Amino acid sequence: MDILNPFQIALSLLTSGDAELMGIIGLSLTVSLTAVLVSLVIGLPMGALLATYRFPGRTALIVVSNTFLGMPPVVIGLLIYLLISRSGPLGFMGILYTPAAMMLAQTVLVLPISIALSRQAFESLNGEYALLFQSLGLGRLERIKALVFEARVALLTIGLACFGRAISEVGAVMIVGGNIRHSTRVMTTSIALATSMGELAFAMALGIVLLLVALTINIASQLLRHSFRNLGHDI
Amino acid sequence: MTSDHSSADIIMTARDLTLRRDGVTLLESVSAQIRRGSITLLLGHNGAGKTLLLNCLHGLITCDAGTINGPSLACQKMVFQKPVITRRTTVGHLRFLCPQLDAAARHDWLRRAEMDRRADAPARMLSGGEQQKLALIGALAAGPDILFLDEPTAHLDFAATKFVETMVREAHEQGMTIVMTSHNRAQAERLGEDVLLLDGGRLVETAPADRFFSAPSHPLAKQYLDHL
Repeated sequence: MDILNPFQIALSLLTSGDAELMGIIGLSLTVSLTAVLVSLVIGLPMGALLATYRFPGRTALIVVSNTFLGMPPVVIGLLIYLLISRSGPLGFMGILYTPAAMMLAQTVLVLPISIALSRQAFESLNGEYALLFQSLGLGRLERIKALVFEARVALLTIGLACFGRAISEVGAVMIVGGNIRHSTRVMTTSIALATSMGELAFAMALGIVLLLVALTINIASQLLRHSFRNLGHDI
Repeated sequence: MTSDHSSADIIMTARDLTLRRDGVTLLESVSAQIRRGSITLLLGHNGAGKTLLLNCLHGLITCDAGTINGPSLACQKMVFQKPVITRRTTVGHLRFLCPQLDAAARHDWLRRAEMDRRADAPARMLSGGEQQKLALIGALAAGPDILFLDEPTAHLDFAATKFVETMVREAHEQGMTIVMTSHNRAQAERLGEDVLLLDGGRLVETAPADRFFSAPSHPLAKQYLDHL
């Protein structure tokens, strides 16, 4: 395989605006960004709660959450499959082999990252602000709201970490999405398929596209961080 | 501060406050009364327990023994020795400290602190003195019954110190009770009405400020003044 060939293919795929490729990129971004958003909405308050309050079952929650950090995506895919397959407890929803199932799988995959990293960020900030919050008489919800606001720059990094995990994942979305053309095929499953069919240059090209997408999002977040820094919001 | 006053004159009473951590007694049976509308100085060497006592009185630390009777937390404010500043703009931080203030009042407080031009600057990029002034006006603007100040002018320059003292005097004239710690004898003599002297976590002398500075009764108080 000519080493330059994949780059040429990637470039021509992107410049030609190939409809199928654009559809795959669009679905990849939709699934992963939705999963990241949902995981942040659930994970950040949970991280804040775990960081700021002692309650029965807290340690168990942390252990479970940390365990899921190391869970292989295929195992998560299998668990979600068992849940949403026709005979599973959530089979009535009929979402197996749909983007919704892929979003659910990726949400479960990145939720522990969101919880663990936000807990770490909130613990550090809570140490800094605990006395002030106590002195101001802030209630539990007010404290969590204030912490989330104060941690907004760190949360951007957490969102990126979640996105990196979600967009690069293949096992779970393959199991619950099925890699159906024009329906549930995303970049990673396309790469897996192209590799299995021996189309290595095309697979590499898709890999380069995936990297470019990740790079673009990282550049955007760095610009956002930079603007925050100019406002002194992360010092 | 003393027992010569009727209960109506007393805004806060602490009885037998004891605080231990890791087997070490940090405060030992501290009992004191704070007169309503007074400026009470907590004095003592480093490690005497001044900040701990201040934190206990404000309710930030729960003592192992003893009781505190005083206004609810909503009627108290505290300014820390090292101001805790949020990741917001100057005016945003003031809004966070005192959400009930409207925009005009916020601007007015910032103007009084000569910080109105820096209203939109990140609060964490203000100088140490400006941050302390911001913390102080945030506390004063809420109009608490009792204000705790933990070495509010430590590390401040002359102008900022003068501003803090002026604001403290104004608040006092309006009837606010102030409890503050200081290592500055001149400042303590300028502002203080009552003095509580702590040594090794014990309250060794309570006296009106003029008597404390002119004729301290406890040997440790005399020693302390000799060192100042």
